[in-house]
Amino acid sequence: MNQSVVCRAWEIWKNPIFLRYCRSRLRPTAISVAILISVMMSGFLFQMIRTVSANNENFTIEDIERTPLTALLVFQGFILFMLGTAQASGGMTAERDEGVIDYQRLLPMTPAAKVIGFLFGLPIREYVMFASTLPFTIWCFWKGNVPAHTWISLYGVAFSTTILYHLTGLLTGTIVKNRRWAFLASIGLIFALYTIIPQAAKFGLVFFKYLTVTPTAEESMRFLLPSTMGDAWETGRRLLSQAKFFNLNFSEAVFTYFSQSCLIITFFVMLCRRWKDADAHLLGKIWAVGFYSWVQLLLLGNALPLIDSGKLFPTQQLSRFSYMMRGRAWQPESWETIAMILVYGLLSLLFLWVLSGIITPNFGTQINGWRRANKFGRKRLPRLADESNSTGFVLLMAIIGGAGWFAFTHMLVESRWFPGHFAPPSLAGYFILAMVTCALLHQMLLEAKGGRAVFLGIIFLLVLPLMVASIVIGTSDRLAPIAVWIGGISPLSLPALCAINHLSISDFPMNLSRAIPGAYVFWQAIYLITVISLTKTLWRTRTSTKELV
Amino acid sequence: MTPSPIAPAIDIRDLRVDYEHFTAVHDLTLKVPAGEVFGLVGPNGAGKTSTFKVLASLMQPTYGEVILSGVDVLEDKEEARRVIGYMPDLAPVPRDLKCGEFLRFYARAQGLGNAKQCAERADECLAEVALTDHKNHWCHKLSRGQTQRLVLAKTMLHSPKVLILDEPASGLDPLARRELRGTLRKLASQGATIFISSHILTELAEMCTSICVMSRGKLLASGTVDQVRQQLGDDSRSITVVPLQEITSVPDWIRLFDGVADARIDAGSILLDFVGDEEAQANLLEEMIRRGLRMRSFTEKRSSYEEILIGVAERSRLS
Repeated sequence: MNQSVVCRAWEIWKNPIFLRYCRSRLRPTAISVAILISVMMSGFLFQMIRTVSANNENFTIEDIERTPLTALLVFQGFILFMLGTAQASGGMTAERDEGVIDYQRLLPMTPAAKVIGFLFGLPIREYVMFASTLPFTIWCFWKGNVPAHTWISLYGVAFSTTILYHLTGLLTGTIVKNRRWAFLASIGLIFALYTIIPQAAKFGLVFFKYLTVTPTAEESMRFLLPSTMGDAWETGRRLLSQAKFFNLNFSEAVFTYFSQSCLIITFFVMLCRRWKDADAHLLGKIWAVGFYSWVQLLLLGNALPLIDSGKLFPTQQLSRFSYMMRGRAWQPESWETIAMILVYGLLSLLFLWVLSGIITPNFGTQINGWRRANKFGRKRLPRLADESNSTGFVLLMAIIGGAGWFAFTHMLVESRWFPGHFAPPSLAGYFILAMVTCALLHQMLLEAKGGRAVFLGIIFLLVLPLMVASIVIGTSDRLAPIAVWIGGISPLSLPALCAINHLSISDFPMNLSRAIPGAYVFWQAIYLITVISLTKTLWRTRTSTKELV
Repeated sequence: MTPSPIAPAIDIRDLRVDYEHFTAVHDLTLKVPAGEVFGLVGPNGAGKTSTFKVLASLMQPTYGEVILSGVDVLEDKEEARRVIGYMPDLAPVPRDLKCGEFLRFYARAQGLGNAKQCAERADECLAEVALTDHKNHWCHKLSRGQTQRLVLAKTMLHSPKVLILDEPASGLDPLARRELRGTLRKLASQGATIFISSHILTELAEMCTSICVMSRGKLLASGTVDQVRQQLGDDSRSITVVPLQEITSVPDWIRLFDGVADARIDAGSILLDFVGDEEAQANLLEEMIRRGLRMRSFTEKRSSYEEILIGVAERSRLS
């Protein structure tokens, strides 16, 4: 029987998985109903908004034609981002639920071709629904005289965001075993990407807002709104931040592609690894370190150029006009600077924990690695293999994270806004020490005691002390020092205590300022001792694993 | 790669599969010649499904080598998947495809030519499993037996050199089993090597040219069904002799006859536990006739396949 190469990864039109979903998800009845709903909704938005705006005497014909654009784009976003992602995630989980995923694994196609087949095949109905709304937006672009570069960059970024979200959906569908949880996790992630994570952008981590279509939409809004509103929008927007990467200026669209591409490639690699081997780690060790370094670089590259202009500070964006009204020049507050430093450190740590969780082998993987090594007379496990321990790589990431955090703090504290304040190089040592301690604590606990111990640790050591501390501090200001000591139990507070303790711009009430140094030194020492003790445990575990084999 | 003429179709060497502290397959070495219908039998937890998953390139073993039709499954999965046809236990089917579409999709995914050629091949396979009438039926609406046949058709689509069928007859009625046997024999006659697992030895004995027995991840015996019976040390049988005239005690010469382990009278019949070989059994019958023992019947009853398997399971549990 003639068995040629089925398809190359990029030959989507030949991809059997894509074609299979075209068949099953584009059945005439279902697709007719879907098209009917999307055309009806977009037709309603189009006509209703145009009719209402036609009554506005200040609007030109062009303005009237532009008015439905925002609503139509939101509707298109809902179809692609929400429905499409849910379908990508739910469809992938359904494959596993029904048990047919093994059939797909057995297809003689490359992992990349399989991922692309699912990526574009599962949400194919949503793509068609999206396409059915296009005539209305095309009309608005044409009659509203929207420049081509605007809608090209807008749809370009919308496509790249769609791919990113659908990959997120596929990934959750691949990892999360329960169909309902996979659906909820993917929708939760999208929700977080649009609501919670962009908040980090307000605290200096500008990178996160480029994971959404918002910056490009804001950039394009000038041409999407009626001309008078568009001009006002543009004036306001220019006062706010612009996309910068160190000294390079990009358009928002280019920077969004730039930021999203790194995540898209990483998610794609994760999925390919899982298609190649269902038990493989989502990322290899080198890739994890590279990815972490890249994100640090992006965070710094976005944030540092905005310090001197003050555009990085939340109060400049939020309260600029109230300062102007009061006739005062805007000046950053020390609390917001501390908050930005803490957010940077905490997010770097949380991200590090996620990557550490991905690359740290469980007991079964390790023991199988040793059995394999033993069989072939090897004395060591291959350094980069999944079964090999991840301590060195986590340590490296912690150093990178600590260094990035210090660079951010140094540039912020020693900027023109805080004369007389310093972030000396010795601070880098403390930051790295805090990062290394927290990172190794997680990695070693995970490797020595397993995921369940880490889960219990998260509940009882990470979250619970912070909750108790919050209640205590809410009860009375006088109890604040006790709250600091209780909160210090949580490793998550270690970077915060470290930063507050060592920075001269910290401006806390006296009782807190007195409690923080003691709490920091005490908990840093305790966690360092714990790490040393875990190192011994881990050493014993590794030796006993070798002996067990 | 083309296998040499003498190379076995399935060549498993030192295969080991571990789940943390539990060893599912323990250094399994096995060779299956081309064209065989080879059965793998064992109680639940014997390591059958783990072995099959490794063979089907769906699982990474701890170590070992698996060469199917000359292709190293662990080194070249993509190529191996062209020579393997795998049918999992309980044979799932998608809910959103019709039978014809289901087969056409896999035909296309196996690279069996253009849309027309794929449709033709799908129709051929549907006809082979007698499901042509169900071409436009939803997969998930088929009965259990029809579903099994449909998945078998999917497994046969690309004419694989090695078919790996995990419990293919589970849930099938006797008629469907007979049809399955026929289909498998036909495939074997066309040159395919078929590797079937089951925890029901009778089922395999009916279908297979040879079998192997696994328990707790270890290979206990392999060969033809009778050879396996001998290897497992279960060659005892009971013989029932019904005399024409009722007798009250077993003659002493029977008790002392070579191969007779025990003899007793039960409801007028002589019950013998016989452990001798077939020659000794023939001698006993001849001696009875020579000595004038007139009988209505002389019946031999061997342990059933299930009893052998239960014995294996019991022994491995106790060990």
